Amino acid sequence: MIVMTLERVPPSLRGELTRWLIEVQTGVYVGAVSATVRDLLWDKVVQHARAGRCTQLYRANNEQGFAIRMHGEGRRTLVKLEGYQLVAVRDARYETLKRDFQPPEELETL
Amino acid sequence: MTGESQAIVWKKQNLRELPKFRDGTSYLYLEHSTLEQDGRSIQAFHPEGMVTIPCASLGVLLLGPGTSVSHSAMKALSDTGCSVLWVGEQGVRLYASGLGESRKSERLMRQARLWASPRSRERVVRQMYTMRFPEGLPGNLTLQQIRGREGARVRDLYARYSQAHGVKWQERKYNRGNWDAASPINKAISSGTACLYGLAHAAILSCGYSPALGFVHTGKQLSFVYDVADLYKMEVVMPVAFQEAARGGDEIDRRVRLALRDHMKQLRLLERMANDLLTLLDDRHDDDPEDDDVGELWDPEGNVQGGINHDRDDP
Repeated sequence: MIVMTLERVPPSLRGELTRWLIEVQTGVYVGAVSATVRDLLWDKVVQHARAGRCTQLYRANNEQGFAIRMHGEGRRTLVKLEGYQLVAVRDARYETLKRDFQPPEELETL
Repeated sequence: MTGESQAIVWKKQNLRELPKFRDGTSYLYLEHSTLEQDGRSIQAFHPEGMVTIPCASLGVLLLGPGTSVSHSAMKALSDTGCSVLWVGEQGVRLYASGLGESRKSERLMRQARLWASPRSRERVVRQMYTMRFPEGLPGNLTLQQIRGREGARVRDLYARYSQAHGVKWQERKYNRGNWDAASPINKAISSGTACLYGLAHAAILSCGYSPALGFVHTGKQLSFVYDVADLYKMEVVMPVAFQEAARGGDEIDRRVRLALRDHMKQLRLLERMANDLLTLLDDRHDDDPEDDDVGELWDPEGNVQGGINHDRDDP
């Protein structure tokens, strides 16, 4: 099973995806396709997304049981903590507090 | 924004909604970040941004150098049964444990009973050693002979891994005061072992046992953790440690943890740990924690109800 989300992409791309997947909510698609089709769909949205954002979630044989792919600029980025995927958000609160949590400079030079 | 009157009142943690230890995530390692709670989510300030930590399904959270945790975040971690373990570069381990996912003490009492009688304790010890020998052990060996065989087994495995990966192996040696002086293979083993200890600790707590009542090991607050970790150490940590030491390069501790995650998934370690624990202490394998009512008061004739005033009981 795969889940994909699209934001701010051309309408024709959204229509294209509905040929494979069901649009559950605006920009949220779900379906069951093979690994090959999954990768081709991902290439397709990345190619046509322009300035928009897209994500893809799919079942994988890792500890989490799934994997995440993201494309496009946004406040959320993917972080990998030693093989575990999590999402980092750079929101206003983070920006204001960031100064306090920066590792000290001298660590870099040791 | 909801006003105060609109705010949800969050009740006590429902234990049924916590994933069982065996189904959860093994570990997460964080360094140079600060853990806080904001709007019920546990957030870590990470150089990449704010990362929310899925702590309900997490077995153990390893906190490396440069981390700090707020009071409310720690409470949330404890409520969801996540163990927290501070790991330093010098191989220093310092534990903080949540309550685990069990609020009943039946299993702890069973463990204490098995531990307290020399006969049953020896039975558990023999069983623990036997688990490490695929071909089994003859029943007529003394404990001393068993320990000898275990020593030989460990030595052989070290030699075998050393040969297979082309990493020179002399002895297990680390200086707590000087991490950098240790050889790469010893660093790799230390970092992998810290992970394994954390998991063993989390498994023990989530089943509702005590980490202090060890069977093979004795006299330490974490004796039972060492017991459980030793069942898997050679099989889980060593292949990964030798493999990463053979590769060379820096950040060996990080690479060991990364490789260990996949290796543990392959071995289905969490599932095995939980099952082996229950089998060893001959427990029923039903672990549906029930939300506990008031406890009882002990009486040799049979327990009596707690939480009430017994003033009128005496005719």
